[in-house]
Amino acid sequence: MSETVLDVGDLEAGYEPGVPIVRGASITVNKGEIVVVLGPNGAGKSSLIKAIAGLVPISRGKVLLDGKDITAAPAHTMVRLGLAFVPQTENVFPRMSVEDNLKVACGILERRQSPARIEEMYAAFPDLLRQRRTPAGNLSGGQRQMLAIARALIVHPKVLVLDEPSAGLSPKFVSMVFEMLSAIRKSGVTILLVEQNAKAALAIGDRAYVLVEGKERHEGVASTLWDDPVVAELYLGQRPLHRDSARRTETGGAA
Amino acid sequence: MSLQFIIDGLLTGSMIGLGAIGVTLTYSILRFSNFAHGDFMAWGTYATLAVVGTISAMFGKVAPITPFSFGWPLIVALVVGVGLTALLALLLDKVLFSRLRKQEQAIIVVMGSFGASMALRSLLEFIFTSRPTYFSRAIQIAMPVGFGIRITPDQIALLLLTAVLVLGVHLLTTRTQTGRSMQAMSQNPALARIAGIDVASVVRVTWVIGAALACVAGVMIGVLVQIRPLMGFDMLLPMFAAAILGGIGSIPGAVLGGLIIGLAEAGAVQLIGAEWRAAVSFIILMAVLIVRPIGLFGVRER
Repeated sequence: MSETVLDVGDLEAGYEPGVPIVRGASITVNKGEIVVVLGPNGAGKSSLIKAIAGLVPISRGKVLLDGKDITAAPAHTMVRLGLAFVPQTENVFPRMSVEDNLKVACGILERRQSPARIEEMYAAFPDLLRQRRTPAGNLSGGQRQMLAIARALIVHPKVLVLDEPSAGLSPKFVSMVFEMLSAIRKSGVTILLVEQNAKAALAIGDRAYVLVEGKERHEGVASTLWDDPVVAELYLGQRPLHRDSARRTETGGAA
Repeated sequence: MSLQFIIDGLLTGSMIGLGAIGVTLTYSILRFSNFAHGDFMAWGTYATLAVVGTISAMFGKVAPITPFSFGWPLIVALVVGVGLTALLALLLDKVLFSRLRKQEQAIIVVMGSFGASMALRSLLEFIFTSRPTYFSRAIQIAMPVGFGIRITPDQIALLLLTAVLVLGVHLLTTRTQTGRSMQAMSQNPALARIAGIDVASVVRVTWVIGAALACVAGVMIGVLVQIRPLMGFDMLLPMFAAAILGGIGSIPGAVLGGLIIGLAEAGAVQLIGAEWRAAVSFIILMAVLIVRPIGLFGVRER
């Protein structure tokens, strides 16, 4: 078993007191892994990772990042602690240029480091370099997602947390986003993501959790989870998932 | 026809514009219309006046710097006054606005600012009485500069000061990390937090800039016209008009809006009649809002 980066234990969280949406969820993310959280609509997937990122009040449980308790840390301190979050929508500053979107995220870096780090992001995402003066609101959906991910990565996070990165994108961009995440993991970044698009997410993931009614009900190696009848039952009610489509999954599983 | 109204308009417009910057920043970052902003102006002016008084009590009478009507005490006092006005704004935010903001309903904060405005104004009248006062009673000789226009050295100095301040604030908000954080907050406060921006510190910077410029605008009015407890409140509507005309959230817009309103008011006095002063600026405002509801430099919300 490798080193645990993110350790979420028995988490209960919700927007209103006494109305938990996340009900005792426990997940772990190990160094270098891509962990996927799946689940039916309304299972509390987004609320779970928003609670981890400090955006939804937590009423019980613990969030440990590299062994450090960050349960009560305010949202704006998360990047400094090493957790970078990419929201599902409205994840760029629309009237700021691409470059200013990146610059504004460099607040926690040393001033002299920022320009080099921005150049590194441009090297990783050449599309952004071409559009550096464009207001982020004018980017295409895929480029916007790219900018949101670059904005999160720029501070060297210990874990990158994404809320449905493929939501609302056309199929071409969906595969682009997942290829991008796969490449980011290869560069050594640990990733936790919530996805509706189970097939594509499991294809790049190492492990996955199935969240039902605010609690993780099943955990497994991503490549085998697709064929797991328990998952099909939890996820879609009864209907099994399309069996033969998971073949292109990379084998490997948990590192 | 005398073109004097251009100088008068530019001066009034500078005062309105400096005030409107604070209004537009508060609106776009803190998301409410601060009706107490005019009273920051008046409080800043009286604070500066009090410091001038203290200095002359300590050092005796100080001769003005020729050719101006004021000496170094006013310059020092203005710096102190700016600091005190910023403190007042921060204090008011701590005891009143930050609590009201937690309700997450703009109208509650707006009403709170109405209350604060009345309280601040009455307090000024209580402390300093409502009798007008002046920084200096010296009369300045206006120099002719051609086309029938005359301008006093004080007026030139204050126009230059306005230009420097506007340029400074513009550079601060567009070129620095603090400014980018302010833009980020105004465009998407939730994402700003996620990106690691400390909302509380952006809020503080916003108050400090707004209050500081309000103080300078107030002192300008004090130097060129007179000091009254109602001086800020009377500027409130032109300042809001300028901020809306320029496009909420835009600093160049607020300044340009202020200049347009100032010039229009002065032009109306000269060309139509003094009783039209207030009306003309609002006719322009309404016309712009009908043709371009987001203002000159405004942006559509998403």
